[in-house]
Amino acid sequence: MTIALQPGPAPRTAVRGRYGRLMTWLLRATLRLDTAIHRIWPTDYNPLYYTGGLANLFLLILVLSGLFLFFYYEASLGGAFDSVRYITEGVPYGGIIRGVHRYAADAFIVAVLLHLFRNWFTDRYLFSRDNPWISGMFLLVFGGFVGVTGYQLIWDERAQVLTGLFLGLLRSIPGVGDPLARIFLGGAGVSDGTLVRILFLHIAPASTLYVLLWWHYLRLRHPKIWPPATWVLFSVGLIFLLAGIIPARGGEPAAPGARPTGFPLDLFFLLPFWLLNWIPPGGMVAALALLVVLGLAIPYVGRREHPEAMNVRHAGVAQVIDGNCTGCELCYYDCPYNAIIMVSSPAPGLSRAAANRTLLAVVLESRCVECGICVGACPFEALELPGFLERDVKRLVAEAVRA
Amino acid sequence: MPERTAAAGEWPKIVGFVCDWSVDLAPLVEAGRLRELPNVRIIRIPCSGFVRPAWLEDALGRGADGVFVTGCPYGDCLNREGNYLMRDRVDQLQRRLVRRRIDPARLAMLAHGLHDGQAFLAEIRAFVERLRALPKAAAARPPQAPAAASATEGEG
Ligand code: HEM
Ligand code: SF4
Ligand code: SF4
Repeated sequence: MTIALQPGPAPRTAVRGRYGRLMTWLLRATLRLDTAIHRIWPTDYNPLYYTGGLANLFLLILVLSGLFLFFYYEASLGGAFDSVRYITEGVPYGGIIRGVHRYAADAFIVAVLLHLFRNWFTDRYLFSRDNPWISGMFLLVFGGFVGVTGYQLIWDERAQVLTGLFLGLLRSIPGVGDPLARIFLGGAGVSDGTLVRILFLHIAPASTLYVLLWWHYLRLRHPKIWPPATWVLFSVGLIFLLAGIIPARGGEPAAPGARPTGFPLDLFFLLPFWLLNWIPPGGMVAALALLVVLGLAIPYVGRREHPEAMNVRHAGVAQVIDGNCTGCELCYYDCPYNAIIMVSSPAPGLSRAAANRTLLAVVLESRCVECGICVGACPFEALELPGFLERDVKRLVAEAVRA
Repeated sequence: MPERTAAAGEWPKIVGFVCDWSVDLAPLVEAGRLRELPNVRIIRIPCSGFVRPAWLEDALGRGADGVFVTGCPYGDCLNREGNYLMRDRVDQLQRRLVRRRIDPARLAMLAHGLHDGQAFLAEIRAFVERLRALPKAAAARPPQAPAAASATEGEG
């Protein structure tokens, strides 16, 4: 193993191929944007660093405002539209809460998309870091679906058209399309039961988001799940302000057989439905499925996922030197990927400091990204990166000072 | 190399640990030294959080006038936490240096992104100026006992 610690390859300029060049360009553009943002805010306050936390914040606002709406909502053909109107007009502050729910949803999806692109462009899904990426794709699919059912719940004209389009999408799936549509409708046509199902399909996937988030955070130590307090206040304030200034309104009540007039579409969630103006349902289903599959494949396709291809030196999974480990847990607290666990020590260590240990650090190979942060954390020389041994670093230090 | 070092002077002697993912060093470094300031030696590391404080002490103890670590901008460490953790460790080590009567200004933590090469250089220049203002003798301490000794003292 050679250690090219001296000038060495420039890691991110050497990626070959058109995809690689595009990604390199996107990375540089992202970082340049950051530099511009840092002229306005100190780096800890760069909102683009907290897109995940912002998504989480908006999700919480959605859950709280959604709970409020849930207790007034009536899931029936005749009652749904009137119950939503009653919330807007009859319930004190109901209109505001409804607006908050609407705008928080938009903010949520924007934050999630920014989060996705940022993590993509800055390579934060590579090597052993696929776990948050894959769970993230599921979060995206579930989140998008929750948005669509949300617009159906209002059961106005738009909801009705949307439901028709949605059924068209379902039916265009070969083989299982018709049974799926029947299951969704709860019978041959739209009935009271359909709205109960839509309500379920709004709330169940939304709750599932929290299960998926547990998976999302599983391998992240200290995930930054909240943005800085100023951004929390700003976001909450902005959403309430919007809800007050531009109240959320539904369209005309749904009436069977009526020709739909024009209505505004929320392009954040309903983009695929808008595109149905030009794309046949079958093509849309295929395109969505392809997008999800491609998204899931991103961490695994291309040569970029190999350190060699990126010209980054392969540091190797961190190794615990059993004899030196004192079980102090410092590495366990510092590893950003939850890749170190403490087990009860089977035998005392060899060094004096390790003689009375009760715990021993163990690196979970599949979670380790070879960053070496644990090496810096360990005061007892009990951790090493095979590609960057301590003695080599010390030799380099000695040479640098002597030269 | 000799002619360059002669021209630029060897003082202050600086060792810098620079993360692979922070400043793009390709245009700045030649043969392990900053092209503009050849008295600054660069050691590249996989993440700023990889650096053991003992190595920084070691460099100072062996006669470096200053040491620094460079990571990504705060909030944007490729490894999520590396630069924050390192900043804390550097703070801790600085307090320890004070107790040992070594000027903590000899130790610096920098944070710069891929494109911040010029800002990085500017900060290094300022660091060099600070070091030139310090009395030279303090740095020429005999090498300390190697890391095993500092290891037993722990992280604090
Ligand atoms: C409900 C939506 C989502 C929420 C609330 C959310 C939240 C978060 C949070 C809080 C973090 C930790 C950030 C940190 O501490 O640095 C994170 C990390 C991450 N998320 Fe998401 N996320 C969501 C959706 C997504 C999606 C759609 C993707 C992409 C497909 C994604 C990809 C990632 C990746 C790759 C990381 C790891 C970043 C790293 O290793 O530094 N997330 N997410
Ligand atoms: S920091 Fe070092 S000594 Fe402490 S538990 Fe981890 S490996 Fe063991
Ligand atoms: S090198 Fe150490 S800190 Fe980094 S992921 Fe592996 S175990 Fe965790």
